[in-house]
Amino acid sequence: MMNVLKTRLIHWRKQVFPLLFWLLLPIIAVILLIQAANAIQADSKVPVGLVVEENTQFAKDLAASIKQTPFIRVYETTEEDAKLKLEQHELDSAFVIKEGYEDNVRKGSRNRLVTSYKSDLSFAYTPVSEMIISYVQQDTGRSKAAHTVKALSDNYSPDQQWSWEEVVTKSKEVEAEESLLHTTFTFADSAKEDEENEITILNTWGLWAVFSILSTLLLFDWVIRENRKSLIPRFTFIRFSYKNYFVLNTLLYTILLFLFDLAAVISFNLFLNEPFAMNIWVLLTYRLMLNAGAFLLALCFNNIYLFYSASFALTLFFGILSGAVIPIEGLTQRFQWLEYVNPLDAFLSGRNSSLWLAVLLFIFALWYVRKEKSDASH
Amino acid sequence: MLHINNLSKKFGKKPILQSISFSVRQGEIIGLVGENGAGKSTLLNILATIQKPSDGNISLNELTYEKDRKDIRKQIGFVPQDIAIWDEFTVEENMIFFEKLAWRRKDKSELKQLCLDMELNKWGEPVKRLSGGMKRKLNLAISLIHDPELLLLDEPTVGIDLKSRKEIGNYLKRQAFHQKKLIIYTSHDMDEINNLCDRVICIGDDPFYKNLLMDMGKDVISF
Repeated sequence: MMNVLKTRLIHWRKQVFPLLFWLLLPIIAVILLIQAANAIQADSKVPVGLVVEENTQFAKDLAASIKQTPFIRVYETTEEDAKLKLEQHELDSAFVIKEGYEDNVRKGSRNRLVTSYKSDLSFAYTPVSEMIISYVQQDTGRSKAAHTVKALSDNYSPDQQWSWEEVVTKSKEVEAEESLLHTTFTFADSAKEDEENEITILNTWGLWAVFSILSTLLLFDWVIRENRKSLIPRFTFIRFSYKNYFVLNTLLYTILLFLFDLAAVISFNLFLNEPFAMNIWVLLTYRLMLNAGAFLLALCFNNIYLFYSASFALTLFFGILSGAVIPIEGLTQRFQWLEYVNPLDAFLSGRNSSLWLAVLLFIFALWYVRKEKSDASH
Repeated sequence: MLHINNLSKKFGKKPILQSISFSVRQGEIIGLVGENGAGKSTLLNILATIQKPSDGNISLNELTYEKDRKDIRKQIGFVPQDIAIWDEFTVEENMIFFEKLAWRRKDKSELKQLCLDMELNKWGEPVKRLSGGMKRKLNLAISLIHDPELLLLDEPTVGIDLKSRKEIGNYLKRQAFHQKKLIIYTSHDMDEINNLCDRVICIGDDPFYKNLLMDMGKDVISF
């Protein structure tokens, strides 16, 4: 094995830059794409100024709700600064939670709780203001309901003394538990609702899986380069049959690529804050599947440029089919067999067993034990 | 000593080689000639264990081809007609690459000396910059890394200049004379065969080669 490694190192030294490029491509491409997507997403958020004049829990909760709203980037500032930035068109609009907000809500007053500013170029003022109005209405509605409940309690059950604060707190608890404002969308006649999923623009490991297909296929061009008809007779007179030579080299590539897979886990944690949740066995079985597939595919080609073309086409095909890059839930719900033919399904679902791996290893074993036309293969 | 006894080879029903018997002594160079398609390369491939005979026995120093195939392969140096080297490597890297996979270990100085013995003095040169003759020499040198006793060469000098041809011929003569190697050699160049070979085996029905070699005064066995 050490001698095969030494021969492999001679090959690797000759192509160190392409080798490193394809080994690092899945890591670097994923980090760059995810960060670019995040940057674009951040830049596309509507800049909104928020002035909180009051230091009460109600005002803080309203500010927090506004900040958590997707597609809005909130700058907390002073009223003068907000107006200045609005004039300079650095802000799309500005909202001031006025002093006395909680008192007014408690009193049931719905007028002038929040003051808003907009400019002649405020393109998102209407939806943002309506969204903030809905939060305020939620607070005022809750307050009005608390007064009503208290009045009913005083009239019909005087022994049970509910305070306004208790009713409001209970109301918030019920809202959190019941997810009253949560909405799911389903297509008509669909069998069941989708489970709740966090919406992400790009799936880190899905992207990585697709880039790994491409880099593995292109790294396995060594099979075509070294599977030369003229060289095969030499293996009759050396310590390794050419099949053993190929198997041992595939093993070396598997070790090398798996080390870079582990580097991907660490890199994604460092640069993309991905949790260390990746199961090593799932990663290893995916790597074995990729390498077995790339090896067997390369064996089918004599022309290296045809192999490159097929590699790009296959990557594109599996990238789309797998749903790793573009969600295809609609398709897989209609055509469930797509999940079985999707080689990335096991990896993306976190399973360490895959039909593809079993089939590819079986074909690999068949290739290894098959007797060649020449008697010199073993 | 190599013994070939009553060897035949058929592809399907078509006979290629029929009842070939001869022996090769230590230090002897045997030429293998015949028209294209006569079966020279097939015989060489059978002697190299790359193909199996349909009938007959072969033995090398008491080892039989049927039973001791693996041990016999350790004693064979096969020089294929196609140049089987890594074009992207230097001469040194090619020698080291095949030494790592060879049955017998050699250090770098021994490998370099092997190249120098056949006047291949471009140790650090990339193969793609070598002349055809130099590539042929490297092709031969790689086959000799494990010090084989039986050397089988399939047209090793085809398409190269006269100087390189002479250098390869001289090297083979030294190997046979000093190292007592058994050498079997195919070529279409009758001058080369005449100068280099002790005996000639003529394969095929065409009497052209046999008559030509007998005119040259060669000891010819024909099948």
